[in-house]
Amino acid sequence: MPEPSITQVSPRRDRTDLIGHLAGWISWPRFLSALLFTFFLTSILFPFYWMVSSSFKTRAEIGGRAPVYVPSGLRLEAYQELFDPKSPVGRFGKNILNSLRVAIPTSAIAVVLSTLGAYAVARLRFRGKDVLLNGILLVYLFPGVLLIIPLFAMLAQIGARLGFDVQDNLPVLIVTYLATTLPVALYMLANYFRTIPSEIEQAALIDGCSRMGVIWRITLPLAIPALVSVAIYTFMIAWNEFLYALVFLNSRDLFTMPIKINAIFNDPTPRPNVVMAASTIMTIPVVILFLALERFLEQGLTAGGVKG
Amino acid sequence: MAGVSIPVNSSISRRWRSLHAREARLAWALILPTAIIVFGLIVFPALFSIWISFRDVGLNNLNNVFRAPFVGWNNYLEVFSDFAFKFQGLQSWGAAVTSIVYSFSGTSITVVVGLIAALLLNRPFRARGLARAVFLFPYVAPIVSVAFVWRWILDPRPSGVLNDLLMRSGMIELPKAFLATRGLALLLVILIDVWRYFPFAMLMLLARLQAIDPTLYEAADVDGAGSLTKFRFVTLPELRYVLGAVFLLRLMWTFNKFDDIFLLTGGGFGTKVLPILTYEFSFRLFDFGRGAATAMILLVLLLVFMIVYVRVVMRNVEE
Repeated sequence: MPEPSITQVSPRRDRTDLIGHLAGWISWPRFLSALLFTFFLTSILFPFYWMVSSSFKTRAEIGGRAPVYVPSGLRLEAYQELFDPKSPVGRFGKNILNSLRVAIPTSAIAVVLSTLGAYAVARLRFRGKDVLLNGILLVYLFPGVLLIIPLFAMLAQIGARLGFDVQDNLPVLIVTYLATTLPVALYMLANYFRTIPSEIEQAALIDGCSRMGVIWRITLPLAIPALVSVAIYTFMIAWNEFLYALVFLNSRDLFTMPIKINAIFNDPTPRPNVVMAASTIMTIPVVILFLALERFLEQGLTAGGVKG
Repeated sequence: MAGVSIPVNSSISRRWRSLHAREARLAWALILPTAIIVFGLIVFPALFSIWISFRDVGLNNLNNVFRAPFVGWNNYLEVFSDFAFKFQGLQSWGAAVTSIVYSFSGTSITVVVGLIAALLLNRPFRARGLARAVFLFPYVAPIVSVAFVWRWILDPRPSGVLNDLLMRSGMIELPKAFLATRGLALLLVILIDVWRYFPFAMLMLLARLQAIDPTLYEAADVDGAGSLTKFRFVTLPELRYVLGAVFLLRLMWTFNKFDDIFLLTGGGFGTKVLPILTYEFSFRLFDFGRGAATAMILLVLLLVFMIVYVRVVMRNVEE
């Protein structure tokens, strides 16, 4: 198949020396794309390099007159301060735990609920399906800040009746994250379920398997890649979320990582290396998860037009 | 629902109907939890915020919000006359104009950069898979880490990387407070947004690029078309629909975006957009009515853009 590329170079056989060879290989389009590529890679990777390298700098290195481009060694000073129970910005372990306590239940519940819903959307016929789907899609339109005021007022009202606090309540956060992630999760899974041939399920139904049995024994095992990407996607949203956590959490002991990092940054004493250490800890699991499951996730990102 | 008469003698039809009804009941049972959570926590609050925007709601009556006094259009008038909202000449744009400039220019540049990146990654080369994964890093990394790294790179002290580089190369004499300079701050916030969100545009465009029928390019080759001509007459028309969809999605999300600007500048120095203003009214001044009114103005503007966009742009695309 001829390559539909914009850089088709005609080989110049008349020049055999090295420079001639290079001159034949290098063409303006090739040169331009190499240049662009270098530009993209450096501007993408430099901030990440800066984050990780700054986290290993000592206080002297970070506070000097000129930036230190390469830290003198893998100093763990910033990480020690981050986990130091006596430091005003310490006890980060607790924040990691809080983030996990929010992200893992969000992800698990979202997978279960969206599986059930997506199966209904993809396989079953029912009245009102289109209205329901369009209503759920409206979520794409609503800004988080628009929802937070009524949500706050509504939950305060319900909380006063049922006797729970809206603020400093991690389950409240889980429920709000579910509301923002379920629509996309539902879409991603429903799109995937449609690609599974329904004949297999019908065969199982004829053999006397119940609907739930069909979902459990046939659809789910075939949909594992999609389930994994929904789990990771919802986990990442809950792990990264900032606004709702900022409004709903007041107690330092319940801060999730993003709010804690914000608090460290806004502390009167600047500690850029500690901020960068905390950011590194927060970023690495996400990037590793993403790299390990990139194939699945890319499909999910394009299929659902994941909100971000 | 009444009405449709069933032939009584046809037991097959009745049986089919009951199976049908059972299927619908099952479907509702399966989707109900999702529907309750989404409608209860998104659709209902969204409607509820219209109601709040006409009431005087503060911290004192938050627990008794349904009794909040009705104030008519007062909240809206207060927002419109607020100095943080209204346009007062080029020195002080106000949140509405800033929001529009921020989201339109940010989205346009994001889509263009995403297109360039997609074209770069469209050709097969060694380690393309890895390069594509790396290109997605800014989009998957947590916004908090990303924002604080950029703040640290743009640090106003001479020890900030950008200040150091610019001063060494002699482009500036004294260190600059990049994110605390009117105009420059907005520009940088837009560029950081481009940095963060171009991978999304890239992914969507790349998926479409790889689905273009190669025979189209072969035909163009036969006709002797150069690469620019091929891009203009083959690639772009094939991408038009996705370009439009990506632009619309990103425009909506950028218009609604809170975290990025809040973390980068706190909404100061000419970067106060409507979501930030909403947050400040509600959670700094604790005037929830005014906050809700600002959010409703935001939503109305968003709807206007969407309708104009769908009418003008999408119709042209279809033709």
